[in-house]
Amino acid sequence: MNNQQSNANLNPAMVQLTDVFKTFNAGTVNEVRPMQGVNLTITEGSFVIVLGGNGSGKSTLLNAIAGSFMIDTGKIELNGEDVTQWPEHKRATLIGRVFQNPFSGTAPSMSILDNFSLAAKRGKFRGLSWAHSSNLQDELKDRVSELKMGLENRLDTAIGSLSGGQRQALTLLMATWLKPKLLLLDEHTAALDPKSADQVIALTEQIISKEKLTTLMVTHSMQQAINLGDRIIMMHKGNVLHDVNAHEKQRLRIDDLLSRFENVRRRELLDESVADLLRLRYI
Amino acid sequence: MTLLIGALTLGIILSLLALGVYISYRIFDIADITVDGSITFGAAVSSVLLVQMGVHPLWATLAGFLAGAIAGTVSGILQTHFKINPLLSGILVMTGLYSVNLHVMGRSNIPFLGTVTLSTYCEKIGNIVFGGNEILLMGWTVSTTDLMTLILMFLLVSSISLVLWLFFHTDLGTAMRASGDNPQMIRALGGNVEYYKIFGLALSNGLVGLAGALWAQYQNFADVQMGIGMVVWGLASVIIGEALAGTASVVTAIIGTIIGSILFRQLVAIALSFGLNPNDLKLITALFVFAALILPNMLSKLSVGKRKVAL
Ligand SMILES: Nc1ncnc2c1ncn2[C@@H]1O[C@H](COP(=O)(O)OP(=O)(O)OP(=O)(O)O)[C@@H](O)[C@H]1O
Ligand SMILES: [Mg+2]
Repeated sequence: MNNQQSNANLNPAMVQLTDVFKTFNAGTVNEVRPMQGVNLTITEGSFVIVLGGNGSGKSTLLNAIAGSFMIDTGKIELNGEDVTQWPEHKRATLIGRVFQNPFSGTAPSMSILDNFSLAAKRGKFRGLSWAHSSNLQDELKDRVSELKMGLENRLDTAIGSLSGGQRQALTLLMATWLKPKLLLLDEHTAALDPKSADQVIALTEQIISKEKLTTLMVTHSMQQAINLGDRIIMMHKGNVLHDVNAHEKQRLRIDDLLSRFENVRRRELLDESVADLLRLRYI
Repeated sequence: MTLLIGALTLGIILSLLALGVYISYRIFDIADITVDGSITFGAAVSSVLLVQMGVHPLWATLAGFLAGAIAGTVSGILQTHFKINPLLSGILVMTGLYSVNLHVMGRSNIPFLGTVTLSTYCEKIGNIVFGGNEILLMGWTVSTTDLMTLILMFLLVSSISLVLWLFFHTDLGTAMRASGDNPQMIRALGGNVEYYKIFGLALSNGLVGLAGALWAQYQNFADVQMGIGMVVWGLASVIIGEALAGTASVVTAIIGTIIGSILFRQLVAIALSFGLNPNDLKLITALFVFAALILPNMLSKLSVGKRKVAL
C-alpha cells in the first residue's frame, strides 16, 4: 500500500477520467451507451493495454479522450488540465494517435514529406513558413531509413500508394514525431498481415520504451496483451471491468487471462455471452 | 488574330475563376456554387467604385477580390458553423447575392463608357511600349491595347499562380490541402478543419471576385447576369486541365487549370465563329462537364468488362 502510494506520487496522473457518461442516438431505437460511468487513472509513463469484446466501448474510450466527440457528463483531465471542453484539434497538442484503419492516419494523395511536415506541427501554430524545411527533410530521411522499409528515397511518393504496414509504421512515426503526452493506439495492427503487424508492433515497443510514452493501446491480440505494456484493463458494456496492474501482469500468461474471462462469467456478473465473445476474439 | 487574342485574354482572366474552383472543388471537395454570385459581386463592387466613385482601377480591382472573399467567408461559415450542406450553402449565398448585386449596382447593367479602368492603362502602356496604336504581329495587324492587355493579364495570372503555389507549400497551405484529403487525420494533428475551410472558400471566391472585376473592365461593362453558370465553366476548365496535365502535384494542377481555362475559351470562340448559337453555350458547357464527369467511370467499367471477357 505504502509502496503504491509513493509510486503514485512519483508518477502523477497523465490521464484522469471521472464518471464519464456518453450515449449515442439518445432516445432512438439506435441508442447505445458505450460509456457508463467510466473512471480511469493512468499514471505518467505507463503503457496500458485495453481489452474487451466487440462494441464494449474501447474505441469510444479513446475517442472520448481524444475529443472526437464531447462527453455527456463527467470530467476528462490530461496532464493535470481539465480538457473536457477542449475541441479535438486543441487536445492534439497533447495526444498522438494511430487508428485501426491505415487510411485514417495519413493524407493519401499527399507525399510522405507533406504528411510529416504536418506531423511536425502537431498542435502548433501553422503559419506561412515553408513546410518542407531542410531540417525536417534531413531528420525525416534518418528516421525513415531506420524503419528499413526502403522509403527514405521515396519521400516524394504519395503516401496512399504505400502498403498498409508501411502506412501504419509511418503514422506511428508521425504521431510520435513531437513527443506526445499521451499516445493512443486503436488496434493499429488489426488490418495488417501478420508479418507487417509484427514489424509495426516491434516499432511500437521501441518508440514507447525509448521515449517513455504514456500509452493506451487497444488490441485484439492476446499475445500482444501478454507481451506488451505494464497494465491491462478490460472493458465491458461501457465500463472498466477488470484491471491488471504491473505487478500481477509480470506473471500473467494467456491461460490466466482466459481463466479471468471464465471467472467473470462464473461469478455471473455478466451475461453468458461475454466469455464466449472474448474467447472468440482472443483465441 | 484579334479574335484569337481576345479569346486568349478572356481565357487567362477566367483562369482566376478556374483556380478558385480548383481550390473549392479539388482541394476541399466542395462543389461551391457561391462562385456564380461572387464573380458578379466582384464585378459589381469594382464597377461601382470605378464608375460612380472614381476610385483608382487597381484599388477597385482589389476590392473585387475582397468582395468575393467575403462571399466565400459567408458560405464557409454556413457550412462549418451552421452545418448546412455545402451545395445548399452555395445556393443560399448565390441567391442572396443576386439581390445584393442589384443593390450595389443600382441597376442591372453598368457600362464603363469613358471611365478610367485597367483597360485605359493597358492602352497607354501599349502605346508607349509598342510606339503606336497598332503593330504587325506575324503578318497580322494587331491593336497594341489588346496585346498589352493580354501580356499584363498573363503576368498577373502568372504571379498569382506563383503566390498560390508558394502558399500551398507553407505550413498553413499544407494543412489546408490535408483537411480536404483526410479531415480526420489533420484534426488528430491539431488542425482546425472548420477554420481552414472558411479560409479556403474565402481565398477561392476572392480569386473568383477578382476574375469578375477584371472581366468587367475587359468587356467594359458589368452585368448582374454575368455570373450565371460560371461555376460550371470553372469546372470544365479544371477538368480539361486535369486531363492534360494530371493531378500529380500542386504545380501541375495550377498550370493545368490555367491551360484548361484558355483552351476552353478558345474552343468556345471557335464554336461561336462557326455559327454556334450563343444561347446554347451554357447547355453545351453543362453537357461537356457531364461527359467529363461520367467518362472516367464508364471507361473503367468498359475495361473491367473487357478483362472479364479475357478471363
Ligand atoms: N459516433 C458514434 N455514433 C453512434 N454510435 C457509436 C459511435 N461510436 C461508437 N458507437 C457505438 O458504441 C458502441 C461501442 O463502440 P466502440 O467502437 O467503442 O466498440 P469497440 O469496443 O471499439 O469495438 P470493436 O472491438 O469492434 O472496435 C458500439 O455499439 C458502437 O456502434
Ligand atoms: Mg474499436
